[in-house]
Formats: sequence, C-alpha cells, structure tokens
Amino acid sequence: MHELSMADAIIKTVIDAAEKNNAIEVLEVTIEIGELTLLNPEQIKFILEVLSEDTILEGAKFDIEIIPAKIECSCGYEGGVASDDGLDHYNPIISCPSCGKGDFKIIDGRECNIKNIKIEKEE
Amino acid sequence: MHKIAEVEVQNDILIANKKLAKRNQRILDRAGVFAIDFLGAVGSGKTTLIEKLIERMDYSIGVIAGDIISKFDAERVKRYNIPVVGLNTGKECHLDAHLVEHGLEDLPLDKIDLLFIENVGNLICPVDFDLGSHMRIVIISATEGDDTVQKHPLIFKEADLVIINKVDLANAVGADINKMVEDVSSINPHVKVIKTSLKNDEGIEDVIEAILEAM
Ligand SMILES: Nc1nc2c(ncn2[C@@H]2O[C@H](COP(=O)(O)OP(=O)(O)OP(=O)(O)O)[C@@H](O)[C@H]2O)c(=O)[nH]1
Ligand SMILES: [Mg+2]
Ligand SMILES: [Zn+2]
Ligand SMILES: [Zn+2]
Ligand SMILES: [Zn+2]
Ligand SMILES: [Zn+2]
Repeated sequence: MHELSMADAIIKTVIDAAEKNNAIEVLEVTIEIGELTLLNPEQIKFILEVLSEDTILEGAKFDIEIIPAKIECSCGYEGGVASDDGLDHYNPIISCPSCGKGDFKIIDGRECNIKNIKIEKEE
Repeated sequence: MHKIAEVEVQNDILIANKKLAKRNQRILDRAGVFAIDFLGAVGSGKTTLIEKLIERMDYSIGVIAGDIISKFDAERVKRYNIPVVGLNTGKECHLDAHLVEHGLEDLPLDKIDLLFIENVGNLICPVDFDLGSHMRIVIISATEGDDTVQKHPLIFKEADLVIINKVDLANAVGADINKMVEDVSSINPHVKVIKTSLKNDEGIEDVIEAILEAM
C-alpha cells in the first residue's frame, strides 16, 4: 500500500512549512483525507507517528478529518453518495443515491490535504 | 519566550501529483508523443497486450514498464528493439507522476510517437495517481472472477477504454463475461468495453481501432 509514501510526503511538507515559520516544535497537524481516496486513515496515522520520530514533529498530534464524497450526477442530483460505509474503506462501492446509477462526476472526496499545523516558536 | 502559532499549509499531496502529471503531459505534447497508461490486476494481460500492439502498430513505440521489484516486463519488451525504461517502484504499489517524469528523461521522446506505460499490477492504488498519459486503458480478465468490476469501481470510472481479457477461459472458471461488461457500463456508461483473448489473438484489432480513434 502507498500509505507509506503518502505519509512520507506529508512529513516532508510539514517539516518544510514548520521550518519556514521558524518552528522549534510541531504540536499538531490537521490533514484532510477524502472518503474516495484509496487511503486508509488509520494506517496513515500510524505511519505518520512512526516517521515523526527524531524529527521536529516527534510527539505531534495528528488529526485526520475525513472529507465526505460529493458527486454531481447526470440525473441532476448533487450531494453525498451511498457507500457501504464502514465495510471497506478503500473500496467504496458507490452509486448515485437518487437514480442508483454510476454516471456521475466526483466533486469532493479525493483529497489528501495538509490543512494546517500548530507549532511552537521562539518569540 | 515561546509562543504557539497556527500555520495554514493547504498543500494537497494528490494535487501535487496531478500538477506533476500535467507537466509530464506538456513534455509529451511538446515532443508529439501520445501516451497510454495500462492498468489492471496482476497477470491480467498488460504486458501481453503491449507486446501484441507493438507487433501490430506501425508507429515508433516506447515503453515504460513499472514493476514492484523485478525487471521482467521490461526485459520481455526489450526484444523488440525499441526504447524501454523499467521503473522499479520498490515497495510501491503504483507508479506516480514523479517516477514517470524520470522515465521520460530516459527516453528519446522526439523519436517516439506512441508511449505505452505499464502500471504496477493493482486495481486499487494506481487510481489516485495520474501520470500525465492521454489515455487510460484498464485491462481485467475472466480469471479474476466476474465480480471484480463491482469490487473496484473507481478504476473503471477513470478509464478511457476497458478490456476484458482471457475470454477463452471464461467457461473454465465460470465467469460471466456479459455481467462484467454490464458492470463496467453501469459505473461508466460512456466507456468502450472490448472483450479479448490475447492468447487467441481475438479482439486486438478492436483495441487498435479504439487507440487510433483516441490519438
Ligand atoms: N488463456 C489466456 N492466457 C492469457 C491471455 N492473455 C494473457 N495470458 C497469459 O496470462 C499470463 C499473464 O500475462 P501478462 O501479460 O504477463 O500479465 P500482466 O498483466 O502484464 O502481469 P503483471 O505485469 O505481472 O501484473 C501470461 O502467462 C499470459 O500468457 C488470454 O487471453 N488467455
Ligand atoms: Mg506485466
Ligand atoms: Zn497501496
Ligand atoms: Zn500505491
Ligand atoms: Zn443520479
Ligand atoms: Zn526524483
């Protein structure tokens, strides 16, 4: 699974942002993960914690916010989707809740965004 | 004194990959190369299809073969005496735009019209990673079971062409090929679905026609 490389990219981005802001420590990291990405948030979180060791992020709290899927269907429906929730996160079986078909565009739900970080810095 | 500060980052890793993919596509466009990404489960027939296309298509073709640790697929294609780059993804289960950019650096792009990129055999992970190709071909086979489409809907949503291979084995494994076609159409009503038996050279001409149409 590519959670490892994603976590690695997240850590690098956070370190970069923290250094630019003269942080001496990163306390919190908020990450948004789309419901339709094929990423497992639990795995990501675990790997982030491991990779943080011996970096400016060591001990930081990782908040993962799940961004719900949003679609725009050819039948006119716009909104959330019917997924077999909780069953299999990386393989959401999705169909339009209004017409039951699959002819739609995905608007939200494919993010892996580092939203913000909370840092400690020298005054 | 120490103070706590909140810093906006707003940096999306997947969007970063998309940007790199766009850059790859610009590089390809500038060199006049049409690139196709081949996706599918392990053993579905990606390399076999690429070989058959090389034999039949009168274009100068280059290949990027993504493999987890081996170079087997790259070696198979090399015997055609065409430019081939084997990209070793290490532990990775997918190619990403950055790796492909390195592959492009190692190819004589101005001498190539058509670039085939074989992704790592996997119906899950490659979905999130655009490579910058102009066409995505998903190839599945009867032997994976006829519920494979329903199990992996997203990859079919992103496909420009879907191939259902190994129809010669459908009866032996009790797979209902028409159900597979219907499942694809319900997920992506606009995508063309072609049934093939690469072993018996069935359906390859239809695949070539679909590629020529897209070029
Ligand atoms: N019976 C039958 N066998 C096929 C067909 N197409 C491919 N094969 C065989 O299936 C096996 C796997 O084919 P490959 O082309 O190597 O599959 P691949 O998708 O490249 O596999 P990986 O790169 O390992 O993911 C080979 O032994 C092929 O000869 C087909 O239509 N019918
Ligand atoms: Mg192969
Ligand atoms: Zn993976
Ligand atoms: Zn992956
Ligand atoms: Zn609908
Ligand atoms: Zn590099």
